[in-house]
Amino acid sequence: MAETQYQKPLPAISSLNKPFWDALKNRELRLQKCDKCGLIWYPPAPLCPDCWARKFTWVQLSGRGRVNSWVVFHQSYFKGFDDELPYNVAEVELDEGPRLLTNLVDIPNDQIRAGLRVEITFEDVTSDITLAKFRPIEIRRS
Amino acid sequence: MANFDLKDRAAIVGVGNSLFGRRLMRSPIDLACDAIVNALDDAGLTKRQLDGLIVSFGSPIGADADTLAQVLGLELRTYNQTWAHGRFTASCIQWAAMLVNAGLANAVACLAAVSFSGLRRPMMGGSGDREGAREAGGGHGEDPVYGMTSPGAGAALVARRYFERYGCGNRELAAVPIAFRKHASKNPAAIMRDVFDVDDYQRSRFVCEPLHLLDYCLINDGASCVIVTTSERARDCRKAPVYISGMQGLPAGRDEFIWAYPGLGVAQQRSFDYQAGLQPVYQMAGITPHDVDGLFTYDAFSILVWIALERWGFCKPGEAASFTQEGRIELGGELPMNTNGGLLSEGHIMGWNHQVEIVRQLRGECGERQIQQAEIIQWANAYGDSLIYHR
Repeated sequence: MAETQYQKPLPAISSLNKPFWDALKNRELRLQKCDKCGLIWYPPAPLCPDCWARKFTWVQLSGRGRVNSWVVFHQSYFKGFDDELPYNVAEVELDEGPRLLTNLVDIPNDQIRAGLRVEITFEDVTSDITLAKFRPIEIRRS
Repeated sequence: MANFDLKDRAAIVGVGNSLFGRRLMRSPIDLACDAIVNALDDAGLTKRQLDGLIVSFGSPIGADADTLAQVLGLELRTYNQTWAHGRFTASCIQWAAMLVNAGLANAVACLAAVSFSGLRRPMMGGSGDREGAREAGGGHGEDPVYGMTSPGAGAALVARRYFERYGCGNRELAAVPIAFRKHASKNPAAIMRDVFDVDDYQRSRFVCEPLHLLDYCLINDGASCVIVTTSERARDCRKAPVYISGMQGLPAGRDEFIWAYPGLGVAQQRSFDYQAGLQPVYQMAGITPHDVDGLFTYDAFSILVWIALERWGFCKPGEAASFTQEGRIELGGELPMNTNGGLLSEGHIMGWNHQVEIVRQLRGECGERQIQQAEIIQWANAYGDSLIYHR
């Protein structure tokens, strides 16, 4: 089946961030964790930003966190987003600490709140690239 | 204690602007020449006495320093330029103060020039914005993959975080652009001079929510220049010197985010209760925030004014929302701010128009918008750098 042309900006894959994007492709959220001091950080770096240890592991994270802040774009800057205005961009604080920018799905923009619990959902946008989006964690009714 | 004490050792002796406008259809170099010529004339200096140049917001968007030296036939002993980001105003003036005191230059012109004529989306967000797509994220928190783009979006993220953390909103924030527009209405050089009220503000469209159009600075054409020399040489110039008595550099690191002070908890900042303490710039100048007669800040977005007030200790975290009400930051108020109208209403000359206004205030040249008995004025920013000037 022919792939429809994806109109939005795609990530620039670098020597530093390739493992991050490779993991998303495999439906995993992975960030670097320092083998020495245990810090988990973002964005990717060639060494631990705290202790400068060169040894780290790309550990799999829970994919859960909470909304720290968010914005809603009412003006389009990229053609690929024209049809989605107004669209949200949220900053999600992962349970492990680092914050990621993302789009929240399965929630109207006016329902977004600080502290909202969210979990990752993977969106394949091209044959090579999978994005990390987040959606509210459903609270089970007792 | 520094073994090279710069307190009161450098001064601004000349200031100059070009015309400011939205469709001047003149290039950055063209406008920069006007600002430099006006500033030298203001100082009573000749072209030959100018041997240093620092261009802020230089190539590839603003005026290029090499080209300026060529076009003006300057004979420079030293020059430099910062890349096309707006926030290096204090840094450039600090470098100039060091250069003249180190004997590497006699007089240094510091300036910025921009021309966005006819460009609808001038490289501030969107596909033409290479800085917003740089490795590991743009300088204002951009992440184009998720549609996060433009400097204002980073400010909107800070505004939302601030609103949520401290329980306030647009209704309080409106006081900032309203105050600066009132100031602009008294400034014939300002681009936007029609006053508005909180209802007009609330009715203006969202650009990146929670920020309205009236929370955003202008995108325009213009140039502003200041001439820095040693305090000793300054005394021989045409007008009374404005001395630089305190300086604080531009910080960077994981606890810094361009539009927030440490602890606010945006991007990768830790979240904690920020305490301003007495910042080094005050210690160098030998004053406290209470001694400041006027405060100027980089108001690209109205929320930055709240952030700056708290960062420098004019009020505690969370208090700027109430501090900025009831005319406190307006002319005649307790702490007049951005009396030129700021980037929000006079024009966006990368903060250089603010330096020109500060000098004119300290000389008593501001007419209808003069701060009475202004002796000490501070330039202090959300992103953590500062200058303290006195007459």
